[in-house]
Amino acid sequence: MNEDEVRQALRAVIDPDVGIDIVEMGLIEDIAVGDGRVAVDVIMTTPICPQGEAIRDEAESVLRRAAPAAAVTVRLLTEPMWTPDRLGPAARARLGWG
Amino acid sequence: MVTGLAAGEARLGWSLPGATLAHVHGVLMVSAFFGTVIGLERAVAIGHRWAYAAPLSSGLGGLATIAGAPVAGAALLVLAAALFGAVNAVAAHRQPALFTVVLLCGGLSWLVGGLAWLATFDATAAVPWWAGFLILTIAGERLELSRFLKPGRWRVPSAAVVMGLVLAAPLAGVIGPAVMWPLWGAALMLLTVWMLVNDVARRTIGQPGLTRYVAVCLFAGYAWLGIAGVTALLLPVGAGGMVYDAVLHAVFVGFVFSMVFGHAPVILPAVLRVKVPFLRLYYLPLALLHLGLALRVAGDLGGLPEWREWGGLLNGVVIVLWIVTTAAATIVATRRRAAEQARTRPAPADAS
Repeated sequence: MNEDEVRQALRAVIDPDVGIDIVEMGLIEDIAVGDGRVAVDVIMTTPICPQGEAIRDEAESVLRRAAPAAAVTVRLLTEPMWTPDRLGPAARARLGWG
Repeated sequence: MVTGLAAGEARLGWSLPGATLAHVHGVLMVSAFFGTVIGLERAVAIGHRWAYAAPLSSGLGGLATIAGAPVAGAALLVLAAALFGAVNAVAAHRQPALFTVVLLCGGLSWLVGGLAWLATFDATAAVPWWAGFLILTIAGERLELSRFLKPGRWRVPSAAVVMGLVLAAPLAGVIGPAVMWPLWGAALMLLTVWMLVNDVARRTIGQPGLTRYVAVCLFAGYAWLGIAGVTALLLPVGAGGMVYDAVLHAVFVGFVFSMVFGHAPVILPAVLRVKVPFLRLYYLPLALLHLGLALRVAGDLGGLPEWREWGGLLNGVVIVLWIVTTAAATIVATRRRAAEQARTRPAPADAS
């Protein structure tokens, strides 16, 4: 699995509040792939978001399905802070940034 | 919660086991039930073990109240609100922003309401503060999500003014209820307008599934918040009367429970670590909730006590029905997922 494939797999994880995937929301901070390992760092839109662990679990589950042979770890970071600048173009279009 | 609902039905005159608890319906629903649920959600969010002391304390406070120990119950609920305030202070320190300040103010409003209840055991003294707790908690969370919209110069300053008014109105209660209720009504109307303009649900209601359902719950809730505001502004809200009943239930059932119906499939996975499937069936209890409330409010404002009683009964039944539906859907989905995983799991290697 390469970085793009990891990113594509993570698009299956949707934030139910806004119906947008975590990649478009700009929640992916880092992706490292190699030596049979997939490691992803994610942030939440606020460090006091109660959904952090649930989204982390979902991301791990999606990656394990996409790369069954790899050792998958997803870390939940409290920094950096999310800002709206991190929204992807499709998210902006859907949310009316026009 | 079930005891609180039964107590509420008893207040309306229905013969239910909660009759002896009718006078504590408000404190059980707001402080014990919502205090515990919101306290749990916030404890999960900040991730400190001590934060769970807040929902533990409010749960015990509710049990003490039901068990006939009102002073111990009220004291535990005050302790819960104080701990919850500390949790919110940690959140505001972690991310200094208006939305965390609004959440903190919601927690402090619960604390003031709890102290008023402990001092007087008069729900009419505590209820504007209890309402402030729930309204500001929801408003703070929606303010946070409004950051998904294209930034607007007036969004945050206008939120500060409108959400500040929600707290200012109960403070005006020291002048008298004739000042407090119209001011509170104006604050709720302004908050409704702010939400309609700034809630990200305006953009997400076009999406399918759970996201649309959440947005529908939100807009239905805003309609009731506006109705509560107009009613409190234009009609005299006498303590314990029909207008009082209409205004408070428009807020607590129409606005708050509508949010709960929408928020539960989103937040339960975070709090209980279970997946709650979305079913279109969820629209049925939502529609019945609003139908029951419409009956009740029409009965209140039209002088039709039977409508009020049947509407209140329908609301209680629907809330229980909704819990059963959500729990059953979650259990079925969890079992199906476990069976699926067992079927697709590779067979263990032969050891021989």
